[in-house]
This record gives sequence, structure tokens and C-alpha cells, in this order.
Amino acid sequence: MPTNWAYVFAAYGIAAIVLLGYWRHLARRARALAARPAAKARVA
Amino acid sequence: MTYARRAWIVFYKDLVIERRSKEQTNALLFFCVLLLFLFQFALGPDRERLAAALPGLLWLGLILAGLLGLGRSFLAERENDCWEGLRLTPGDKSAIYLGKLAGNCVLMTAVEIVLVVLFGVFYNVDLWTPAAPLALVLALGTVGLAAVGTLFAAMTTHVRARELLFPVLLLPVQVPVLLATVSATQALLLGQPLADVAHWLKLLAGADLVYVTIGLLTFEFVLEG
Amino acid sequence: MTRVLGWLAALGLLAGLAAGFGYAPREAVQGNVQRIMYLHVPSVLTAYLAFGLVLLGSIAYLATRRPGWDRLAGSAGEIGVLFTGLTIVSGSIWGKPTWGTWWTWDARLTSTAVLFLAYVGYLLLRSLIDDPDARGRYAAVVGILGAVNIPIVHFSVKWWRALHQPSTILGPEPSPIDPAIGLALFINWVAFTLLFAYFLSRRMEIARLEEQT
Repeated sequence: MPTNWAYVFAAYGIAAIVLLGYWRHLARRARALAARPAAKARVA
Repeated sequence: MTYARRAWIVFYKDLVIERRSKEQTNALLFFCVLLLFLFQFALGPDRERLAAALPGLLWLGLILAGLLGLGRSFLAERENDCWEGLRLTPGDKSAIYLGKLAGNCVLMTAVEIVLVVLFGVFYNVDLWTPAAPLALVLALGTVGLAAVGTLFAAMTTHVRARELLFPVLLLPVQVPVLLATVSATQALLLGQPLADVAHWLKLLAGADLVYVTIGLLTFEFVLEG
Repeated sequence: MTRVLGWLAALGLLAGLAAGFGYAPREAVQGNVQRIMYLHVPSVLTAYLAFGLVLLGSIAYLATRRPGWDRLAGSAGEIGVLFTGLTIVSGSIWGKPTWGTWWTWDARLTSTAVLFLAYVGYLLLRSLIDDPDARGRYAAVVGILGAVNIPIVHFSVKWWRALHQPSTILGPEPSPIDPAIGLALFINWVAFTLLFAYFLSRRMEIARLEEQT
């Protein structure tokens, strides 16, 4: 039975990219929302 | 005014409108004829292959017709500014759902009969011998399709990209109905007795019960706003 | 609270990796490819947790009309789709060397794919409605129907497959009799659940802030 490590790394790699990507996506949205009220306060 | 009467009024109104204008039924029936040709051209002249695929094609045709016909369930109300009228109806709103569901079942049944007859004639398949059990399978499947279709039609009436969203929402829910009806139809066309497909019938009946119940319970929430 | 969850999740995932690669033994039949299970199974379990929360949030929103419930439903739905996608991809990658094919219409894969489609539709519906109240109501109806449909889909697909393939093929699931495998799986499942809780917490906060502006 061949070792097939490539498949294992592919699966875990994709999972890591997706999960990390989603985490950064959340972080970016949170930052954008935090900046908005500050901008509104400055304008108002 | 009783609940049943209100449901009947909705059903009767749609029936009368359709009988007078005939626009929807004519178009749908013509669509069935087109499907006949479409399937023939897509599957080529191989008679065996077409006969083997028949159960699937029958239900595929019905779903396609359903996507066109069911999505428009509440179009008349929307276009003629009658939506408010629906919202302001006193009493249990689910009576409206029931009336619309009945109307849609009648519509889908008409489409089915046409499809079955056309398929029988043009594809030269014996659909007469298993007619009774086949009718049962189709009836159960129709209720399942119409139950969710009516609910989602009401929902998507006011949403952007309505024509795209309706199929996208409806099709995943219809997977069990599709699998059950096609499998059961296939077995029946192969000459198997009704008892052999009992588990599919039970699944369909159970699913129908669930879908109609949810429709009745949640329709009022869809009707608001 | 969220930050604590985040750190716990990170720790859990590291522990899970260690358990999956270091502690758990090499599986006898499939070899090391079986280790994908420590990613695949927790993913699908987390997805089910997510969709359970969608159901809960949907019913609660229709009953109470409190926006917090709709935020729960929407956030859980988004993360659930994420983990379902992960389940399908990891399952597919696992299947290639073990079954010889990227995809097969076996009962489990098919059911999961239908699940994925149903909830992508749910997210699509949410994205198309701007009014928060209408969005909450409509999404709740679709969410409830989708959740209730899951067992119906499961049985219909299972019986459908039984017609075409009477014997179950070697599925990518070795009997977890080996306690080491079971433990590694458990650790990874806990880690994924913590990660889910962390994502959910952040996503709901974002939803709350969005509604304020």
C-alpha cells in the first residue's frame, strides 16, 4: 500500500487554507465595522 | 366564514381565473409537448435507452413544468396589488395556503396526465397496465412538489432574482421526492407489484405530511410584509 | 470570551494534529491516508451542529422575533456551509486513493452534497433580502424546512443506493475499535467544536454590529 502522504497533506492543507482564510475574512469585516462608527463620529 | 370556505374561495378563484384566461395551462401543456421532443433529441434514437430512462424523464418533465408553473402561484396577486388583500384576510392565513396548494395540485395533475399520455403514445411505452399504482405514486409526488413549491412561491414573490431563487431553493428539498417517485415508477413499469414499492410510498406519504404541515404552520410568517 | 474560545480552539487543533499524526497508529488496511478521517469526521459533525443551531435559531426567531436568534441562524448557516464544503472536499480526497475515484454517488457523499446545496440556497436567500425582518422570517422558513428534510433525504438516498449497489463497499471508515484511533478522533472533534464556537461568536458579533449601523 503506497504511503499516499500527498493526499493527506492536500486534505489538511486545503482545510488549513480555508479555515485560516475564513478567520482572516472575519477579522477584516470586524475591523471594517469598528472603523465605521469612528468615521461617523468624526464626521458628525 | 369557516376555514374550509376560505380555502375553497382561494382555490375556486384561481380555477376561474385560469379557466377564463387559459394562459398558464396552455403554455404549460405546450411545454410538455416540447419536452417530449427535447428528451427524444437528447437521448438519441436508441429506443432501449429512452425506455430505460422513462421514469426519470417523466418526473424530470414534471419538475421542469413545476418550476415554471409553481413559481407563478402568487404572481396574479403581486401584479394586481392584491398582496395586501391576502395579508389582511381575517382568520387563519393557512387557509390561503391550502387553497393555493389545491389549485397547484390540480395544475400539476393536469400536466402529469398530459405527460403520461404523450410519453405512452410517442415513446411507445405501456403505461396503462400499471396505471392505478402509478397514479398513486404520481399523486404522492405531486403533493410533495406542490406543498413546498407553493410555500416558496409565496416567499420569493417579493425577493430579487425570483426566477433564479425559486428553483435553487426548491430542488434540494425535492431530492427525496424525486428519488422516491423515480424508483417506484421504475419498479412499477418493470411489472413489480405495489407491495414492492411500499417503503417508497411510505417515505412519500411521510414527506408529504411533513411538507404540508410546515407549509400550514409557517405560511402566515411568509405572508407578512 | 471570544478570545478565550479562540485560544482554546487553537490549542485544541494543535492537540488534534498531534493526536492524529503522532499518537494514533497507522491504520492496517488503508495506511496513512486514513488519517484524513481526523479532519473529515469532525468536519461533518460540526456541520450538523451548525445546522441544528440554524433550526433552533429559525424556530426561536419566528416565535420571539428577537434579532439575536436570526443572527444565530444566519451565522451558524454560513459556518455550517463552510464545514460541509470541507467535509465533501476532504472526503473526496480521501476517496481517490482508497476508492480509486474522486467522486461516487454513494449514500453518504450524496446526502452531504444535497445538504450543501440546500444551505447554500439558504445563504443565497439571505443575501438577496435587505429588510432584516423579512430576511429573518423567510430564512427561518427555509431553515426549518431544510433541517427537517435532512433525515428524509438520508433515507431516500440510502434506499436509492441500495438499488444500485447492494453491498457496501469499503467505505473510508475503518472500524474504530482501536482506542487510540477513537481518542484521536475525539480530541479532533472537541477541537473542531471549539473552533466552531469561536467562529460563531465572531460572526454573530459582526452581524450585530452590522445591524447597528
